[in-house]
Amino acid sequence: MVRVKSRYLLCEVNVSNRSSLLHLDDRAVAAAVKAAVARTHGDYGAALCSIRFCVKYLNAHTGIVLLRFPKKFYRLLWSALPFITGIETRGQKIPCFLNCLHVGGTIRTCQKFLIQYNKHQLHQMLPKCKNKEEKNEVRRAILSCSLTGEKMGLKGEESEEERANT
Amino acid sequence: MSVFMDLSVCSTPDRNHLRNLVEKAANLGFSTVAINYVFEPAAKSKQEIPTPAPMIDDLPLVQGRSRPIRVLNRLTIVMSDSSHFRPTAAEYRCFDLLAVQPTTEKLFHAACMSLDVDIIVIPVTEKLPFTFKRAPVNGAVDRGVVFEVSYSASIRDSTMRRYTIANANALMDTCKGKNVILSSQAEQPLELRGPYDIINLALLLGLSDGDAKEAVSSTCRAVLLHAESRKTASGIVYTVKTNTSGQQEAPPAAGDGEAPAAKRARPHLKE
Repeated sequence: MVRVKSRYLLCEVNVSNRSSLLHLDDRAVAAAVKAAVARTHGDYGAALCSIRFCVKYLNAHTGIVLLRFPKKFYRLLWSALPFITGIETRGQKIPCFLNCLHVGGTIRTCQKFLIQYNKHQLHQMLPKCKNKEEKNEVRRAILSCSLTGEKMGLKGEESEEERANT
Repeated sequence: MSVFMDLSVCSTPDRNHLRNLVEKAANLGFSTVAINYVFEPAAKSKQEIPTPAPMIDDLPLVQGRSRPIRVLNRLTIVMSDSSHFRPTAAEYRCFDLLAVQPTTEKLFHAACMSLDVDIIVIPVTEKLPFTFKRAPVNGAVDRGVVFEVSYSASIRDSTMRRYTIANANALMDTCKGKNVILSSQAEQPLELRGPYDIINLALLLGLSDGDAKEAVSSTCRAVLLHAESRKTASGIVYTVKTNTSGQQEAPPAAGDGEAPAAKRARPHLKE
């Protein structure tokens, strides 16, 4: 079987003030990317960016964005991403930049990478907790926010255990 | 995953600001950053060469590794006259890296062929004041001196972007993508970019895939080694001033941190 090939760019939105991340929405991100591509590559870039480009996923809490580009032109479109300096949303401009974490051929590989990445992030943050209660608080928060119905086997099991304990 | 380096972030007197910059760089996955001090000799007035500020303590961990980030000091001399570079100045010794930014063709030739430096900075904020000739560029490549293109000016402004792309492409035509490093020259944390973004950005600057990756990793490492060997005689002999009278005082010019363990002075053995 043949399918239409795409490249998925897993990007992290870096802002100086983390609370402003919550204002983001996928339409604003898409508009910012399109504007940057049009500015760097002109009409040609804008034309390429209108085929099958979309923002597949946006997590406003962690600032993770998943962008889809056609495979043929993704290098060219990606080269415009560093020139994004801000995202305009609801009348205000949030200064930020996109940092590409992973390039994948399917959403599945990107998800796998993201889980691994977040796990690593957590390991780096846990030693910064000051006391045991704080640590347990963080652990509980993680377990309670695992979504039901999603295929995250390990996390699902752990939250069930948690429920049994309480 | 290779080791990425950013060999130039702008220094500021504000320690907190600098700390933010270093932290952000560590977060993005750079395992070495160099703090850049710019020295621009004016025509008449005598100026002080800036001295590097003390290191920040408790350095942040690098993303994806368990090692803290390495912070170096670097001096950039903006040369408009050949007397501006004094090869024996003692002030240069406290910097890990030495860079020059020549403003005329003659000085560029001198910097490539004879000056004892590590990095030649390519101007990105103005139209190229001279053209690159094959002979000096090849000479620099043979000596292991690298050319630096910085990208944060191109992020700030559209005109600068044109100059950056034009100057970088002119350079890549001559040096064929070898001995080039890409650095940020960032003043704000938000002007830094991730290493993979930079590698892809190099596509616009005329570098090929492999050369682009080398420009942020292995060439940077080569520069650091070149800088270390600059302080030695052909990379073999290393001299340290020892205090003949006392054993308790450490060798003054070369701090303990710079010299490898084997080359450190051992006063207690010389009794």
